[in-house]
Order: sequence, then C-alpha cells, then structure tokens
Amino acid sequence: MTENPKQSPLAANPYLPEIGTVVETIQETHNIKTFRIVLGSEERMQNFHYEPGQVGQLSVFGIGESTFVINSPPTRKEYLQFSVMRAGEVTTKLHSLSKGDRIGVRAPLGNAFPYESMKGKDIIFIGGGIGMAPLRTLLLFMLDNRKDYGKIRLLYGARSPQDMAFSYELPDWLERKDMETVLTIDREAEGWEHKVGLIPNVLLDMAPKPRKAVAVTCGPPIMIKFTLQALKKLGFKDNQIITTLEKRMKCGVGICGRCNIGTKYVCVDGPVFSYEQLRELPNEL
Amino acid sequence: MAEAKYISNDKLTAWLDELAGKMRVIAPTRQGDAVVFAPYASGQSVELAQEATAPPKSVVFPASEDLLRYDYRKNPENLGQVDVELLPTISPEPTLVFGSRPCGVRGFLIFDRVYDGATYKDPYYLARREATLFATIACGQAENACFCHSVGSAPGDATGSDLLLTPIADGFVVEAVSDKGAQCLESSLLEAAGGKADEAKAFREKALQEMGEPQDFGPAQQKLLELFDDMGFWEDVSAKCISCGACTYLCPTCYCFNITDENAGLTGRRVRSWDNCMSFQFTLEASGHNPRPTKAHRLKNRVGHKFSYYPNLHDGIIACCGCGRCIKSCPVSVDIREIVTKAMAHQPPAVEEAAK
Amino acid sequence: MTILTQLKEQITAQLPKLDMVIGWEQGYDALHATPLFMRAAEDVERLQIGPLSVHNTATYLTGLRNKKVGLVVKGCDSRAVVQLQQEGLIDRENVVVFGFPCDGVADLTKVRRLIGDVGRVEEVETTPTELRLRVDGREEQVAMSDVMADKCRRCQYPNALVHDHFAGKPREPHATSDDYTDVQEFESQSLETRFEHWKSEMSRCIRCYACRNACPMCVCRDHCIAQSRDPHWVTQDDMVREKWMFQVIHAMHLAGRCVECGECQRACPVDIPILALKRKMNKEIKEVFNYDAGVDPQAIPPLLSFQVEEENINERGW
Repeated sequence: MTENPKQSPLAANPYLPEIGTVVETIQETHNIKTFRIVLGSEERMQNFHYEPGQVGQLSVFGIGESTFVINSPPTRKEYLQFSVMRAGEVTTKLHSLSKGDRIGVRAPLGNAFPYESMKGKDIIFIGGGIGMAPLRTLLLFMLDNRKDYGKIRLLYGARSPQDMAFSYELPDWLERKDMETVLTIDREAEGWEHKVGLIPNVLLDMAPKPRKAVAVTCGPPIMIKFTLQALKKLGFKDNQIITTLEKRMKCGVGICGRCNIGTKYVCVDGPVFSYEQLRELPNEL
Repeated sequence: MAEAKYISNDKLTAWLDELAGKMRVIAPTRQGDAVVFAPYASGQSVELAQEATAPPKSVVFPASEDLLRYDYRKNPENLGQVDVELLPTISPEPTLVFGSRPCGVRGFLIFDRVYDGATYKDPYYLARREATLFATIACGQAENACFCHSVGSAPGDATGSDLLLTPIADGFVVEAVSDKGAQCLESSLLEAAGGKADEAKAFREKALQEMGEPQDFGPAQQKLLELFDDMGFWEDVSAKCISCGACTYLCPTCYCFNITDENAGLTGRRVRSWDNCMSFQFTLEASGHNPRPTKAHRLKNRVGHKFSYYPNLHDGIIACCGCGRCIKSCPVSVDIREIVTKAMAHQPPAVEEAAK
Repeated sequence: MTILTQLKEQITAQLPKLDMVIGWEQGYDALHATPLFMRAAEDVERLQIGPLSVHNTATYLTGLRNKKVGLVVKGCDSRAVVQLQQEGLIDRENVVVFGFPCDGVADLTKVRRLIGDVGRVEEVETTPTELRLRVDGREEQVAMSDVMADKCRRCQYPNALVHDHFAGKPREPHATSDDYTDVQEFESQSLETRFEHWKSEMSRCIRCYACRNACPMCVCRDHCIAQSRDPHWVTQDDMVREKWMFQVIHAMHLAGRCVECGECQRACPVDIPILALKRKMNKEIKEVFNYDAGVDPQAIPPLLSFQVEEENINERGW
C-alpha cells in the first residue's frame, strides 16, 4: 500500500520537491502550527500513497527543508497534515505561511508503524506535547479500521491546557465509545477537568495490561525515558514498545550521512523503531 | 580487451592535447605548493610523479553544486498568489580524469553503493559518474602514510578505472580497463607495448610486494561497536584532533553533504555542498540538542563509519581507500591506522584486571 | 643535562598535580611530530622538542578550560597563552607552563620545495644547523637557515614569555625587530596584482577550516560564522568570494590578537599563504597603537579598550 518508490517522483530525483499548496492552517498552541497541504492535482492526491508514520520534508525555498511526520492518516486523503513546532530557521519561516501559499513537499520518506502486525492487539498510545503528531496518524488510521484492532487507549499529556495540540479533536476522542482517552497536564490549571500529573505516573494509574498489547509512545526525551520505565514496570516487553526518533536530516534518503546511529539511518530505517530495535543500536540519541 | 599500448614521455603532452580536444581533461596541476586536480590547458605541465594533495573527488562530487533553482512568480491572474517554479540543474560534461592514483578512483566505488542505492538514486552524482573516465597511474612506491593494500586495494589496482597507465622507463604502458577506455587508445601517438606490458606487470607486482604484509582491519567492524560507549577510549584517541575538516574533505571516500538554500530576491538556489562529520553543526538539532557534542563523539563516528558501519551494510567493504591523505594532511598528524589498531587491541579495563 | 632531560624531569615532577601535560612526540614518520598528551609518567619518555615540534600547544587550552593543564611551549606558543590570559579566555592558575629556549622550527613546505615530495622520509637527524634526512634510501642535508619557518627568522621571543618552569638557559632572540618588509613588498604591487594573487591562491581552498581550528585565538569554535545561517554572511558555495570573505573575517577578528604562530598557514592542507593577512592587520595595529599581541600579560589589547583620543589616529584633522 505504500508508494512504490520506483513510481514516485522521488525515484527520478529524490531531491526535487513537489509543489504543494497550503489549504488551511491551524494555530494549535503558541509554538505549534498545523498545515494542511494538497499536492498538484486531485488525481495526484489520490495517487499519493503512504503509510501511517511516514514523514515528509517541507521546503520553504530560500530558507530550507525540515522533516515532519504526515499526521493525517492515509485513510483520509483530502489533504496531508503536518504539525510544526517552531524551533529553528525553517520552522520559524514555516509558521509565517498561510492559506494559498506554495510549499515544497518531498514525501513519503522513512518507514511506518507496523500497523499490520499490531492487528488484533490492544493499543495504548502515550503522547507528550508535539509527540502527539505521529501518534495521531496511527490513531486515526486505526479508528478508520476499527475492527482490526482490540482495545484502543490514549494518554495524551502536555505542560498546560494551552499546550495541547489537536484540541478540536479531543472532544470527539473523549466521547467515543470505541476508545478511551485520558488527558493530563503537568500542573493544576483553572477549569481543567482532566488528570493532573506527569505522563509516566498517570500511565501507572491507567495500568494497561501487557497481554496482547502494544504501546506506542512519542514525546520529549525525558518523558520517553520515564515512560519506558513505567511500561517495564507494567510488564511490557521491549518488542511491545514502539517509538519514533528524530535527528537532524538533510537528504532524507539515506545518502547525506548525518542521521545515522551506528549502521542505522533514521531517515530511511526510521523514524519508527521498537524499543527492542533501539536497544540493539549504539547509544547515540 | 584491447592490446596494451605504450606512450613515451615526450609524446604525453601531445596525447593529452588530443584527448582534451574530445572532452574536458582534468589533471594534477601544481598550484602554489599544492598539487590539485584542475582543468587541463593545452601544453601545460602535469604533475604525475607524486600523489596529488587533493584527490579527484570534486570532479564527480563537486565541493558545491546547485540541486535546483527556484523562481517565485506573481500570478498575473491573481496578484495575491505567488507561484513557485523549480528547475533541477543536472549538467554533466564528458570528462577524463588523467593521472589519478588507484586510491583516488577507488573512492567512487565507495560512493556508488550509497549514491546508486536500491531505493534511491542520486541523479546528479550518477550523471557525472557516467560522464567521467579515469586514466589512472599505477604507483611504484608507497608513501609512509599509504596503506591501500590493507583495505582491499593495491598500488596497481585498476578497479573503477578506464585506463591504467604504468610508468616504465621513459614512458607509460597504457592498458584499457573498460570499453570506454579502449576508445582513448585510438591515437597514432601510442604504439604497441609488446614486451613492455610484462615489464609493467612486474612493476605493479613489485610495488605491492614492497608494501609488505597488509594489516587486517576486519575485526574492527565488531570491535568498534563494542567500544561505542567507551568514551574514555575515544577521548584519548581524539585528544589532539582539532576537529577541522581536512581529513574528510581530502578523503576520496567521504561522501557526506549539506543542503542549504541561497536566496536572492524572488529567485534562488538549493545548494548541495561538502559537509563533514567532524563539524559540531553536522548533527546539531534545532532544539539545541546535539547527539555528537564533542570531537570524541565525532571522530568515533568518522572511524566507525569507515571501518564498521559501512562494511556492515556493504559486504564487509571498508569505506577507506588507504590513500593516507587524512594522515599526511592532518594539521596534527592524527593517524587513523593507529586509532583502528588501538581499537582492535583494546581490552576493557575489567578484562585487563582479570588477565593480571 | 640536556634541555630535553631537564624538561622531562620538570614535567614528571608536576604531572601528579595535573590532568595532562601537552607537548610533542614523533608522529607517523620521522619527519612529522604530533602533539603528545602526557597523562602518565611513561608518556613523558616520548616527549620530543626541536625543529619538528611545530604545533602550537596553546591551541588546546580553550577546549580544556576545566582541567589542570601543563603546556610545553615555544616562545610563540607562550604568546598565545599570554593573549588568552589577557582576554580572560583561560584561567592562568589552571595552566602550568613549561618553557625552553626555542631554536626555531622547520617549515615542511620549505623542505618539500628543496627536496621534493617528503612522503617517504625514513630517518631524520636534527642538529642546531641542519636537518639530515634519509629519503628513499638517499641522504639529504638541508640547512636549517634554508627551511626555518619565516616566523622564526623574525622571532623576538624565542623563550617562553610566561612560564612556571624553564629548562635550559634563555637564548638570544633570532631578530630584534619586525619591520614587516614582507607585507610592504606585497603591498607595493598594484591592487589588481594583489587581487589576482588572492583569487588564485583562494581558488584551491577546500573550506576545511583547518586554519580556523588550528588557531589558538579562534575561540568561537562551534559557533563560527562560517557555518552559521544567522547571521548568514557566507554561503556554502565553492566560490572564491565566500572563501575570501571568511579569511577576511578571520583576519579582522585577529587584528591585535594574532600572535603570529603561523598555525593557520601551517595547517592549511593546500598551502595557502594566509598568515600574510594577519601580518597585514598586525602591521596596522603596530603602526596605530604600537602594540604587539601576546607579549605582556598585564597589557590590554588595543581593540579591547578605547581612549577618547588615540595618539596615532587623527580624528579631528581630516
């Protein structure tokens, strides 16, 4: 179901972006902005194949490129959604784009979540801050293929209510009967009706059962570190924990040489890794 | 393959002029106190007696090149709309690299496995690669920094070349290695080599023999991974390194690059340029986090990539051609052979204790 | 007792109190020395000094700020220590300086010019006046006076200007003044000639920044404008304009700071004579402020201070 790289425009020239158009922007938080982008034509959008977890390189010509997960699922192809946290030169410029602006897109790149082998299993999503973006694509994909998966639970945490991205979807996720959603923030805030506490602690309270389950987690390094500890405590094995990695990337196609951890190139062998795979890698995160 | 030919030294310039009439010829040229590969100008002297300071890497992989040009244009129908047009820029020129040593050409074989990958191919590199011929000169004598025979090559290695020139008295025996190379032999300036071909073969064998026993770097593939977390080892071997890019930029096999945009009004270029893993910026992330924050981390990656990660991914082939440029051009004489040898011999302190 | 023996004794005595002492040892062949980081007593045995000990050991200091570092220095290296101290870039109490009288170092580029490629040197013997080499089985003798680095020929400070230990007796300076005749000669050429010279020399620059990283005074290190996008003063294009721009920024940043150890030029793998740029700036500094960098630990470098009216800058009379 993934795009055959041989037929993709990237096969002829992996450095040449397609020109897309921003059709909608959403200011998610003070430093996260979401872009909904369509490529060339409706036909191109229909022919554009990718899998949940794959990434794209967004270009602002004259400034540069940066890598972001396609956080809309392949089951919903009206547009490709990317959520961008402002950090450096490219992301700052991206934040200035608005509806109608042209943007360069090189996608899909990288590997995907192992959504096939996750079929029939209970899924626990654990997302922190902007780390919710890669989880969103898999979550929505699974909701769109709901019968293929067991129990779906989501734990999403952010520093404060204002730091929660995808707020427009949270009411639906909280209301749905076919998934359980738990939201948490680090410190008490006025009007907040959900959990307060750090993600690993809330996770221990939720106590997901490891039997026939897979945990998918993404977030800042410190959160990942303690979430892993919590998952181990709950009995999850290394091959039941899946996460995504980020590295400085340039080419995105395994050539330019900077995103390697030992023999693995995060741009082509990742960004999705099981904790079992990560433990095999040299320690250079 | 075509019969071996011979050209005497006094006809070499005429032959080069002839070749330069057919394609761009790049040859080792003295510039100041350095010898670099530069476009050959009719009649100029070329430096064939010694290894060039820099290898011919830039002929196929330029120090910088435009990947694309972009133009922003206001849409005349709708002035609020700015369209962008992209023009990829691939323009190879038929080229002959004359006078490289085998190690300089061997570097491209290391490139090929990455730039001509199963999934992604680099069209800029491949177009130039296809358009470039190599007339390589066999080495007669290794320098102190040379170790090509320890990384799977030899002073007379013709792999990757189109023509192999072997210096014998007053001239060169010229042998075609590829069909394209054979076409370059169609010149009245060349004569049949006859018995000189055997002389050339003996010359190459002697050169290899004089290098002595090759060192076996094979065990480094596993050993370097085992040493990954031993930062004490890496801090020790990198102590004198000044973290510049001389080793990588002079290395025939170092292929890493950067991509940066250069804007000029409504138009601009996306530039690919050499980059190097010894630079702090190479892995610096926008958040400020850097997975390789010190020169010890960075030198570990350089050595690890060449002697462990690359061989691991590519049939055990070491991503080093043994030319020794990283050693002899290093401002502080860091010796990669010494580092790999130390790594292979290294025992963790606990093991040493137990051995006592 | 030879100077080297005395030096080794001094180092061995101090080593237990230090994290390391930096000197030189033989490198991958007899002609090439390499910096030696002495941590254990047996490391001291490998120490060598002499005409091949070319590297400026002070280059490592700013990267070792939290360590107790011993440094074996030539006169020019000691000037870098002084300058770093003046600028507050090192903590002098963390640095123990071992000085010795320096007879000058060899410029290997000059050796190459004289005897050709030096890739196969088998043995080197150094005497105060000569380098005796065995290359490819043949003997070569070159006079030190023919291969001595230019900086040594005009050196007024062959003995470490600051030191905590000194081996041997201080020697006479190699020169009593620097009249910058090399700069003057170059400047006597037309603008076009000079510009062509630099265009031609810079065209072979590979942008490896060995010049920058070998420089003891280049202290921006990981935050250099050469790779920065903000400010975006140079592009990554392989063009003389960009390479030259960097060299000019480098030279300007070193005005009145450069101790002329020549490491930038020595480190350049393609032998671009870039020390001339720093010499030019120092000549101006000398003329305007009568100042020599890295000589007096108590002095304030002229561009790190200002006077309302400078003696040699005629601000009113223009």
